[in-house]
Amino acid sequence: MSEVENKVVPVESEEKDYVEDGKNKLIVKCKFCGSKILDKKSAKYITLEKELPLMQQDNNRKEGEIQNESVNEFYHVENMYTFENIGFTHTVANCKYLSCADCDAGPVGYYDMETKHSYVAISRIVHA
Amino acid sequence: MAKKTYDLLFKLLLIGDSGVGKTCILFRFSDNHFTTTFISTIGIDFKIKTVELRGKKIKLQIWDTAGQERFHTITTSYYRGAMGIMLVYDITNEKTFDDIVKWLRNIDEHANEDVEKMILGNKCDMEEKRVVSKERGEAIAREHGIRFMETSAKANINIDRAFSELAEAILDKTSGREADADHARIAVERRPSRAPPARACCS
Ligand SMILES: Nc1nc2c(ncn2[C@@H]2O[C@H](COP(=O)(O)OP(=O)(O)OP(=O)(O)O)[C@@H](O)[C@H]2O)c(=O)[nH]1
Ligand SMILES: [Mg+2]
Ligand SMILES: [Zn+2]
Repeated sequence: MSEVENKVVPVESEEKDYVEDGKNKLIVKCKFCGSKILDKKSAKYITLEKELPLMQQDNNRKEGEIQNESVNEFYHVENMYTFENIGFTHTVANCKYLSCADCDAGPVGYYDMETKHSYVAISRIVHA
Repeated sequence: MAKKTYDLLFKLLLIGDSGVGKTCILFRFSDNHFTTTFISTIGIDFKIKTVELRGKKIKLQIWDTAGQERFHTITTSYYRGAMGIMLVYDITNEKTFDDIVKWLRNIDEHANEDVEKMILGNKCDMEEKRVVSKERGEAIAREHGIRFMETSAKANINIDRAFSELAEAILDKTSGREADADHARIAVERRPSRAPPARACCS
């Protein structure tokens, strides 16, 4: 469990002031309402490349079109009950999106149906 | 083993006729400026919420259910693992209130007999359209020995409170039967709300 896995990049993570011992040093909160998503030191910092739908989709976009952006810093949560407060959407293409349990803002990350692991996008939350 | 981060995990289900507001109770009316159309299009399957009750850290896993499934098609598998059920009707719709009895029968038949129930009369913000009085809601709950509350998903009235009351009732059950039998009822009627202040909402 405590072994650092292949894809984690400890060297790089040392430079982030919100990462300590490869984990989130601070409490993870919703950007919009401050709802507590993760307790401090409860999730592993990882880098991986993932396309996530934008939190604010352009109202003038074509019907059915989804605007994505590439996100590459995440907190990795192995057990969903580690979350303090979080929402899971219905499943889309073997994945569920994560949203704030209090104001429903999101996606703040995604949940992989196969591995049952969750990934919180660091650019979409705030630390406290 | 990872460090244990909570004491108990309760699985809760939202049940009731179509249109009573189950999805809205789970998925708040987030029509604030940051409303995210993407999330609302896909819809929320379940939420995990953490509450503290009597010094215990409790994780609630709350599931929405699709209302087009009628009680006669809902069987054991539907209720599997549920420790608490929110049975919702719409105070502006007589039929949804009448169906509460059928839902209760269905729960008796198919759910774990230990399951803790609570009746919610939702949409209490629509006083002008009300057809089911609060007294009738209270009466049916009393008759079946279960908790009752009127809620509004729209105005965020009693939603958090309802969930902590239900969680508390389950906690009473799981933490031994020595608990005073009247405690549950008193808790509903007397306990001040511990819900956080209502967020600015649509109205
Ligand atoms: N005024 C008011 N309207 C509400 C409230 N809750 C839900 N509604 C409205 O009632 C309608 C149905 O709400 P839903 O949450 O979709 O109902 P549901 O129980 O999930 O229905 P099914 O998914 O079909 O089972 C929607 O138009 C909501 O806007 C409330 O508290 N007050
Ligand atoms: Mg629904
Ligand atoms: Zn939020």
